[in-house]
Amino acid sequence: MSAPSDRPECEAAEGHCITCADEGIVMRVLELDGDSALCAAGEGAVTSVAVDLVAPVARGDELLVHAGVALVRLGVPS
Amino acid sequence: MRYVDEFRDGRLGQAVAGEILTTVDPARHYKVMEICGGHTHSIYKYGIDDLLPANVELVHGPGCPVCVIPMGRVDDGIAVARTDGVIFACFGDMLRVPGSERTLLDAKAQGADVRMVYSPLDALRIARENPDREVVFFAIGFETTAPSTALTLKRAKAERLTNFSCFCNHVTIVEPLEALLGSPEVTLDGFVGPGHVCTVIGTRPFEFIPARHGRPVVISGFEPLDILQSILMLVAQLRDGRCEVENQYTRVVPRDGNARALEVMAEVFEPRPVFEWRGLGFIPHSALALSDAYREFDAEARFDVPGVRVSDPTECQCGDVLKGAIKPWECRVFGTACTPEHAIGTCMVSPEGACAAYYNYGRLARAREIV
Repeated sequence: MSAPSDRPECEAAEGHCITCADEGIVMRVLELDGDSALCAAGEGAVTSVAVDLVAPVARGDELLVHAGVALVRLGVPS
Repeated sequence: MRYVDEFRDGRLGQAVAGEILTTVDPARHYKVMEICGGHTHSIYKYGIDDLLPANVELVHGPGCPVCVIPMGRVDDGIAVARTDGVIFACFGDMLRVPGSERTLLDAKAQGADVRMVYSPLDALRIARENPDREVVFFAIGFETTAPSTALTLKRAKAERLTNFSCFCNHVTIVEPLEALLGSPEVTLDGFVGPGHVCTVIGTRPFEFIPARHGRPVVISGFEPLDILQSILMLVAQLRDGRCEVENQYTRVVPRDGNARALEVMAEVFEPRPVFEWRGLGFIPHSALALSDAYREFDAEARFDVPGVRVSDPTECQCGDVLKGAIKPWECRVFGTACTPEHAIGTCMVSPEGACAAYYNYGRLARAREIV
């Protein structure tokens, strides 16, 4: 696995703003690393995401990520 | 991409728009507020308003943290950023928000070490890598963003980092809605609710809107089909005489939110007694400060912060736009003195600001044609 890339700068994703909370990127877990996981959005760059708030996660899980932190593990019935 | 592409299907969008048309009462006007700036952005990016019947009016709410931050707080942040030895980390949108004399981008050009980050965890990494410098993170955002700041501060405390602090401007969504609903000039028929805020706080905090104010709410996702379906659900409630909180975004939003995120936030933050909102004035308990347990990380205690209240420029009508009292193009400086390149008001700075969304997606030309 390649090392995680630097995070994109704030305004990179479809021209929207992180502070407004619309940014919820669906990312897939590639590899676990303690309280973090290496994740990728589609074919995009691999980045480190904090998964403390949605643990436990497993490889292949899909997460909704905001500001580098996973807020929801998708596909889990509430 | 799964969870995204299927919600951008143009044919389905047309079909839902057709259903909205057959659901609304042609003799009635519908005024619907989308609370979140993310929805505002999607509405103009995808032309959703063009698909709606003429009697369904969308009004833009106060859900853009960059737009509601008062100028004095921007000045406070800039004062900290200009302090010797400080590395000031913030999200990209904050860089261009005007203070009374300059923006953070201006301060950076004048020598301040201002760095754009994508996550507060990146600011923490900068602090680890620069133990001889003070690193300050400009924390801003609603309940979607607050957990990332809380988690970062928990890690900073666990690592006993002494060169990291936070200039906290997190705000909460329920209190300004209460204030809006209490304002006689605001006449709304229903709300499209903020989906990603609800991933954290759940849908229950919005139940006061139907219960006490008699307006329906539909919690919505951010893709075009999400928003169209939410509007359909809202007008169907009004047609059927129902008034409740419905959740269109069930694929993401659990009714009770994220209990762990709420727990971390409760540990790290406490409500401020009062906070100033641009356009809405002072609203009690509408923002977060660091709790006693995390006071050591409070930049407002660590640095000399002016704390001076600054009035908005007189020509700027962001306040009226944020309350939904006027449309962006009705502002006296929209698209002339105030543009995304030279913003006077905050609503023109952030891509989610109603003015910037109108401007960036070509509504300047349309507005002029209408006039």
